[in-house]
Amino acid sequence: MMTRREWIAAISAAPLLRGATAAPVAPVSITKCASYDEDVTAKLGLLFDQLGGLGGLVSGKTVTIKINMTGAPSIRLQGLAPALTHYVHPKVIGGVAYHLGKAGAKRIRFVESAWASAGPLEDTMLDSGWNVRSLQSAATGVEFENTNALGKSKTYARLTVPGQAYMYPAYDLNRAFEDTDVFISLAKLKNHATCGVTLSLKNCFGSLPASIYGDNAGVDGPNENPTAGRDRVGHRGLRQPSKSAPQELHFGANHDPGYRVPHIVADVVAARPIHLAIVEGIESMAGGEGPWIQGVRTVKPGVLVAGLNPVCTDAVCTAVMGYNPRAERGTAPFQTCDNTLLLAEGHGVGAADLGRIDVRGVPIAEALYRYDS
Amino acid sequence: MRGDRCPRVLVCLALAAPAWCLPKPADWVPARWPWADAASLDLIGGGPINCLLVRPATAEFAAAAANGGLATLAVVVPTDDVLATVRGDLAAKVTGIALEGSFPAETIAAVRRAAGDAPVIELGPRSGMLAYLGAPILATDQGVWPGMAEMDRARAGPSGSAWIDTNTGFIRGMRAATGAPLWIANQPPTKTVVSAARYLEAIADAGMSGARWAIALDEDFAARLAKRDPKAMADWGRMMTMASYFERHPEWRAMQEYGKLALVQDPAKGGLLSGGILDMIAVKHAPVRPIAPADLKPGALKDASLAVNLDAGALTPEEQAVLRDFTRSGGTLLTGPPGWTDEGPAAGKITLDRPELERLNDIWREVNSMVGRRNLGVRLFNAASMLSNFLVSGDGRTAVLHLVNYSDFPVDNVSVQFLGNYKRAILLTPDGVEKPLQLYQTEDGWGADIDKVTVAASVRLEQ
Repeated sequence: MMTRREWIAAISAAPLLRGATAAPVAPVSITKCASYDEDVTAKLGLLFDQLGGLGGLVSGKTVTIKINMTGAPSIRLQGLAPALTHYVHPKVIGGVAYHLGKAGAKRIRFVESAWASAGPLEDTMLDSGWNVRSLQSAATGVEFENTNALGKSKTYARLTVPGQAYMYPAYDLNRAFEDTDVFISLAKLKNHATCGVTLSLKNCFGSLPASIYGDNAGVDGPNENPTAGRDRVGHRGLRQPSKSAPQELHFGANHDPGYRVPHIVADVVAARPIHLAIVEGIESMAGGEGPWIQGVRTVKPGVLVAGLNPVCTDAVCTAVMGYNPRAERGTAPFQTCDNTLLLAEGHGVGAADLGRIDVRGVPIAEALYRYDS
Repeated sequence: MRGDRCPRVLVCLALAAPAWCLPKPADWVPARWPWADAASLDLIGGGPINCLLVRPATAEFAAAAANGGLATLAVVVPTDDVLATVRGDLAAKVTGIALEGSFPAETIAAVRRAAGDAPVIELGPRSGMLAYLGAPILATDQGVWPGMAEMDRARAGPSGSAWIDTNTGFIRGMRAATGAPLWIANQPPTKTVVSAARYLEAIADAGMSGARWAIALDEDFAARLAKRDPKAMADWGRMMTMASYFERHPEWRAMQEYGKLALVQDPAKGGLLSGGILDMIAVKHAPVRPIAPADLKPGALKDASLAVNLDAGALTPEEQAVLRDFTRSGGTLLTGPPGWTDEGPAAGKITLDRPELERLNDIWREVNSMVGRRNLGVRLFNAASMLSNFLVSGDGRTAVLHLVNYSDFPVDNVSVQFLGNYKRAILLTPDGVEKPLQLYQTEDGWGADIDKVTVAASVRLEQ
């Protein structure tokens, strides 16, 4: 039985889903890379060449790359380094930096809202066993920003959801997300306990600063020393973000994380468009997004995927994982959640229709690695 | 030490082991010896163990051990006919007596009288240790079994962090207060398969804090070792290598704990705990100096910038004056909430239950906030499954950072950032590796990277 609030929330989203056929498409590139011992940088070069190269996109520009480092680096699956299971691997990050630098990027800023901390992102990287100095030397102009709070800026940027937002009319983010010419989502090929899959779209949920959207965010304004995740605001809707930020449109209407998180993600990627989506699936985990999810296991899909449209890229990735990217709620991998890809498609971000997507390099059938098998 | 003993062994064989050829008690490296046959002593050959805790003691075994330059301590427990047992053990020519458990004071006094010049070691509860400060060795049979605590699945989450069961907080506090040689003589958990790695962790847990774990084997391991099972022999060899590592560096025991953070804690109260404030700070890898209130004298807080005084009401006016001077000279002092007292563990316990932990949380939140992510001497990265101990020599020219990994997996790529103007960093490992580390400048000092830590490693810093 749907409550009145839930009904209001549902009808406010419905018209947007009707616009799906108009959603744009862009080519998606796939290459195989069996292990991190291979020449990952060369494989990435091939991946980007198949898209026509990066020069036109990044030359002379400031580029911001949202990487995926979910959860505390101390939490590990079978003692493995986080990059072998649920973080994007630093070799991939270094390789991306190298190619961006080679393509003429002026400033290369890697960002992530490091778990429950406002400290330097470099600290989290070191805690993950990464060699930060190597990353910095991969290209000139490499820098890092923890976007969980203000970081190096003095104010937050407000990014508005174009058209009718699902959850929040706009989002207050670290300025790194606005003060950039190019925005890249560099994600890991994984399942997600709440969203079914986490790829370049879901990666951007981590753009939300815990200072404003965290469990211990300030009531009136940001808490610049956040020490918690976004469960109460984002996942369950038990509280509003800090009053300084735009408030939830239908607060209290829905507390289901399987509804809320996909809708928030679709809002965020509409508000902060992704110019290049890169998904790393050399080694990863299946069954969830991190070691704290029961039943997760290591997998070695051995693929790298990139595309100039995040919805198209995630659609191809979802297919590579053995799922139908247009699957509705109730069907794997979206058994208990809404399909983020379709919601983003509803916002006009891109099309999740494999029939319309030009897949270059390795065909999906040859890259297929079933996550549910 | 074994090295002191060896040149004398041949002489001893001929002279039936006079007491002077045995190592001094302070140098004893103890093991509970589950065998009574002299042939079992072959297992020791050339290794660091030089003191065997035996029960029962036989004259034949004691003589064989003494002939090998090994001290023997007869273990006596409260349920024995104590004085009769002690006299029998002494007649068997054991080197000394180990009283394991709680004994009435008069019984202990009677045993000491009966023992004469033979050492009597108390292996009793932690709470009784300070009563025997004059003993050649302070020891206890109470300890937690070191290792990663099992994560509570119900609370598993992305913020979950590993907790490490350790005796280091207790050892460090007790050693800082007494400076005495210290043994932890707890035994492996029963009905549990104990891996070789866990034994190595137990040895290193005590060793990095300047104490010795009295090696004790579970029944299965002892049985396999008695049969000279190849796998058990290999594991035993690794244990001896680990024990030797700490014995090869007696200078480490003479070094002082270092850190910009000082913790004033009564060794007879909170200092008796495992899992108390000192261990909680250690899990954050913040170097901290434990200081007993009695040691709060001018100069005790030299080089410290932060201090935590757990039990403000328990200090004498003179001790309070030292802390007052510390704050007047720019130091930051954190005291417990009003009315908060350091009560230490409940009788017979060495860990805290949930209500006690919640009570400790009152002060822990403040300590955690104060420590933050500052470099208080050394900062460690990628060391979640590790504990560390940072020591400096008396002249301050050499420092040693001990690292112990409590997980079942080696840790790769550990980064260390430290304050101070050190010119060289050398990595030492139990298997004898001494490798220079490349130093690089960091925001507030110097850094070095360690490729891999299996169970234990140390970084020696030299000015």
